[in-house]
Amino acid sequence: MKKILNTLAVLTLTTGMICCPSEAKAAKKDIVIGFVPMTMNNEYFITMVNGAKQKAKEMGVQLDVQAADQHASAAAQLTIVENMITAGVDGICIVPSSSEGLVSALERCKSANVPVINLDTKINESVLKEVGLDVPFFGTDNYAGAAAAGNYAVANFPKGTKTAILTGIEGQQNAADRRNGFYDTVKSKLNIVAEQSANWEVDQGYTATQNILSANPDLQLIFASNDGMAIGALRAVEEAELQDQVQIIGFDAISEALELVDRNEMLGTVAQYPAEMGILGVENVVNAINGKPVELSIDTGAKLITKKNVQQHKDYSKQFAD
Amino acid sequence: MKNAKNQGASKNIDIQSLSLYIGAILIFVVFTGLCSAFGKSFCTLGNMKNIINQSAVIAVIAIGQSIIILTGGIDLSVGSIVGFVGIFGGLLLKSGVPVTLVVLIVVVTGCLIGIINGVFVSYGKVPSFIVTLGSMQIVRGLTMVLNHGRPVSGFPSELRMIVNTKVMGIPISIIYVFLLYAIMITVMKKTRLGRWIYAIGGNANAAKLAGIKINKIEMIAYGFGGLFASIGGIFLLSRLAYADPNAGSGYELDAIAAVVIGGIALSGGKGNIGNTLVGALILGMLKCGLQILNVPVYFQTIIIGMTIIAAVFLDKAKERKAE
Repeated sequence: MKKILNTLAVLTLTTGMICCPSEAKAAKKDIVIGFVPMTMNNEYFITMVNGAKQKAKEMGVQLDVQAADQHASAAAQLTIVENMITAGVDGICIVPSSSEGLVSALERCKSANVPVINLDTKINESVLKEVGLDVPFFGTDNYAGAAAAGNYAVANFPKGTKTAILTGIEGQQNAADRRNGFYDTVKSKLNIVAEQSANWEVDQGYTATQNILSANPDLQLIFASNDGMAIGALRAVEEAELQDQVQIIGFDAISEALELVDRNEMLGTVAQYPAEMGILGVENVVNAINGKPVELSIDTGAKLITKKNVQQHKDYSKQFAD
Repeated sequence: MKNAKNQGASKNIDIQSLSLYIGAILIFVVFTGLCSAFGKSFCTLGNMKNIINQSAVIAVIAIGQSIIILTGGIDLSVGSIVGFVGIFGGLLLKSGVPVTLVVLIVVVTGCLIGIINGVFVSYGKVPSFIVTLGSMQIVRGLTMVLNHGRPVSGFPSELRMIVNTKVMGIPISIIYVFLLYAIMITVMKKTRLGRWIYAIGGNANAAKLAGIKINKIEMIAYGFGGLFASIGGIFLLSRLAYADPNAGSGYELDAIAAVVIGGIALSGGKGNIGNTLVGALILGMLKCGLQILNVPVYFQTIIIGMTIIAAVFLDKAKERKAE
């Protein structure tokens, strides 16, 4: 009896393994690229991966995508890189979970002679120096993206407009860049009356905005450092029935935010181009493998999306949607 | 009907261990077959080292978790202790404290956190789930406070040497793991402390009547939990050369999974610490093999979840038959 159950459990396990859609192809293609986003549970990275998949298909190379299951962590990324090297990938594109956490992973790539391309979040120079590796970077300047939002605000709002900023997680570089990009552009023209961290979260954006509104009932503009917080802010503004008085600008151009811009419920959101990062990553890592020249640094750009260009951006995004 | 059976001596534990080993070998064989079918390598010496290295942190944390689960308790704070050790140890290193001293300080601190958990559980009579649910949050919060939620990096090379040296070609982290398990297997099997821990989990009232100071022993068990969590934290810090305040999130569940796959009952009193290592290696093999096969990440979690249930399901086959 025990034996039967034993066999049964093992069979369950193996059928589970075989039935789930393993993307490994029986015939190994010439080139396999390992692609490591931070996670696979938000639209931004899914778009990036879809761009990479399309490019890989076009170039006739295989793309293996692996990410941490929920929280991006340096430990999970090191394990993934080790296993990809064991599986014999020829090159790796990676979005680091942190700018400083990849020392060990890069060393593995270096000793296995696997070229690496850094996407979206730049690896610190000190880390690259320590490892002794030149790694190309393709991504967006968060500071410049937020500055674009700031310039739009300065051009379209009267001097002294009462403005609030919602920031991301304290201590994160991209949170600081987005905050500073906006702040530095508007500080001499608009009147920043409040600044609070809402840790990138919708619910915290909502409560922070409630508090800001009760302290500043005459607020006119909110810059939220990501669309999640912007959506939370919008709920609080609607609840206070101040939609006509308070305008909101977000960041990331997630599909829900684009809809809100289209319906005039949000003033704008800063778009980055994750799909371009994925495309360029695959293209250049294949070049590196083939010994062809590789771009060392590409700014994939950021643009403020408003009612004027939202349809155009929605059409562009469609080709990388799931 | 629970009887405080003596570990190791009874026949049914041996059968249980045997089926666990057969299961582990089968998983290994299946992955070797699947990987070679897809033209990838799984069964290589280098990959064996990889799997043990990748499992080392969870395997070490799971030693402490095993001891606590044997007393009939649970420790949810171990993952937070891993994060705390990274930031606290990292800051000490950055301020110029020598590596050996840092290891000593953080291990003692981790052990103290465990003992505080133990005092509330044993003398305070608060259920362990609740105490450690609270301390999990407190310790994670302390970790954030220590460095304002920021990571720490840029460490001296001596830190990397803790797990990155080789002795006669064998990575030292592997030697540490086996050594720690050997020590604790001996403690649990050959010492009074070990027998008392089994006795508490088997039948606390009988243990009390037999004159065992159950509060003190229980407190020591939680001290082990903190001790091994902080050793695991040092391993991780050394492996990554980077301390993240969120590090170790969810590790308590991975450790519990290793313990139950290894066959220690959550009700306590029964099971084999050595088998926890096999449990940790099974989890490590699954993660590694599924990644090499490039199975999408969410299917990996589904398969690992199925494995946990399947392992305990097999374990209970005997009891079901008896009914």
